[in-house]
Amino acid sequence: MTISLAIDTATSRTIVGIIEGDKVLFEAFHEGATEHGFAITELVTKALEICPKPDQVVVGMGPGPFTGLRVGITFAHSFALACEIPVIGVCSLDAIDIKESEYTVAIDARRKEIYWAKYKDGLRISGPAVNKPAEVGNFIIDQYPDLKKLVALSTSQNITEPMYLRRPDAVPTAERT
Amino acid sequence: MSEPIVLGIETSCDETAIGIVRGRKLLANVIASSVDEHARFGGVVPEIASRAHLEAMLPSIEKAVRDAGISLKDVDAVAVTAGPGLVGALLVGVASASGLALGLGKPLYGVNHLAAHISVDYLTHDLPTDPTIALLVSGGHSSLLQVNDITSSITKLGATMDDAAGEAFDKIARVMGLGFPGGPAIDKSAQSGSPTAIDFPRGLTTSNDWATRPYDFSFSGLKTAVARYLESTPNYAKGDVAASFQESIIDVLLQKSLAACKATGIDSLVIAGGVAANSRLRYLAEQRCESAGVRLRIPSPALCTDNGAMVAALGSLMVAAGRKPGPQAFDADSALQVERVAL
Repeated sequence: MTISLAIDTATSRTIVGIIEGDKVLFEAFHEGATEHGFAITELVTKALEICPKPDQVVVGMGPGPFTGLRVGITFAHSFALACEIPVIGVCSLDAIDIKESEYTVAIDARRKEIYWAKYKDGLRISGPAVNKPAEVGNFIIDQYPDLKKLVALSTSQNITEPMYLRRPDAVPTAERT
Repeated sequence: MSEPIVLGIETSCDETAIGIVRGRKLLANVIASSVDEHARFGGVVPEIASRAHLEAMLPSIEKAVRDAGISLKDVDAVAVTAGPGLVGALLVGVASASGLALGLGKPLYGVNHLAAHISVDYLTHDLPTDPTIALLVSGGHSSLLQVNDITSSITKLGATMDDAAGEAFDKIARVMGLGFPGGPAIDKSAQSGSPTAIDFPRGLTTSNDWATRPYDFSFSGLKTAVARYLESTPNYAKGDVAASFQESIIDVLLQKSLAACKATGIDSLVIAGGVAANSRLRYLAEQRCESAGVRLRIPSPALCTDNGAMVAALGSLMVAAGRKPGPQAFDADSALQVERVAL
């Protein structure tokens, strides 16, 4: 059975786990929107101390606040390179596990906006997108990606680019007024 | 036993840079810059830089390993710039270095960007760099330092009170329409002008300044003076303005550096950072150090601007000095003080 190191940093949490099939060998998170940098190393170190070496890395590609998101993705790719194992990217919103047939989930995008996606019968039918909450209607927030689901999705997804959904805030000199 | 191989990662601003050294020998120095993407904004945009770091990181590591003719598994230690710099940019490098070190099962050194700039001189010159006075001048920093031991003890003598020297170059180049980055543009334009054509002010050089803050810099007054001159002189000669402006900055930098050498009795000066690539600075520094009896070291221009070799060099020196690595899990520190050579 494939052993996966699963990582998600699309939310204020740094979430790390080791998953083998449907067994969770290790799972831990650190809460702190600006602390992904040290948290990821700390949690992965702990995981490797008690678990067998992973065969692959599965990482949440967002959408999520940029700085934290990049920490998880860069770490995952560099770790995988060093271990000579593959890395697979999955949409973080897809990995939020909600036991309903139809629902919308959201991740805080700051600046009074949310990243969201809508699901029906296990399929994403709308999003991911970034909008003001009022434009989205009912949604579930404050739920976090589930690492077992993240790993399960890695057989059907392989997202290679971070899901930023927003452009950098910058105005070219020529367009400034 | 052969000397340790250290891989260094630098992402404090807009360069994604990977260097690999074996002892003091440079094996690879790969730099992917996002400077072209920033040019139309007239300065570095942090989010654009951070995105570019993520994109360039893996290909740059792989290229560096190929260039060095080694396998990643041969790396004995990883070093990374922990600060100072743009926090989002630094974090990409720190996360990558952490992943590499953990995956390889090798130690990680989080090092200071400024100390790394100075330590790169070890790759070009034989003699130990310390003790020395170091002038560190770049787009983000202008500091005068006393380096007692490059791996553990650096004292700040002074620093800029407003703009960094490189920043002043960028701003003046922008108002003169010379483009970004401003350093190379002014350097080039100055070749056709006279450094004595216009008498621009020398910041913080009154007798009172020499008595109270001999090693601090200020470039904002100069900037204003140049802007006023341009406004009042519609048909100004670009070369003369560039040369005279450049001379004013360089003159102050060197006056204060040599004053520090004299006051401390240290007859060695290292000039590092992106502005140290400036041709006039290199020329004048050589002349003035020679007449002052100060031994001058300036890394080759390619190693003056941000690069990964300097981070690998400092990591290598830490290993050679028997310094234990700091915490393996850490966050980037955008305001890391120069006195902290490593975490």
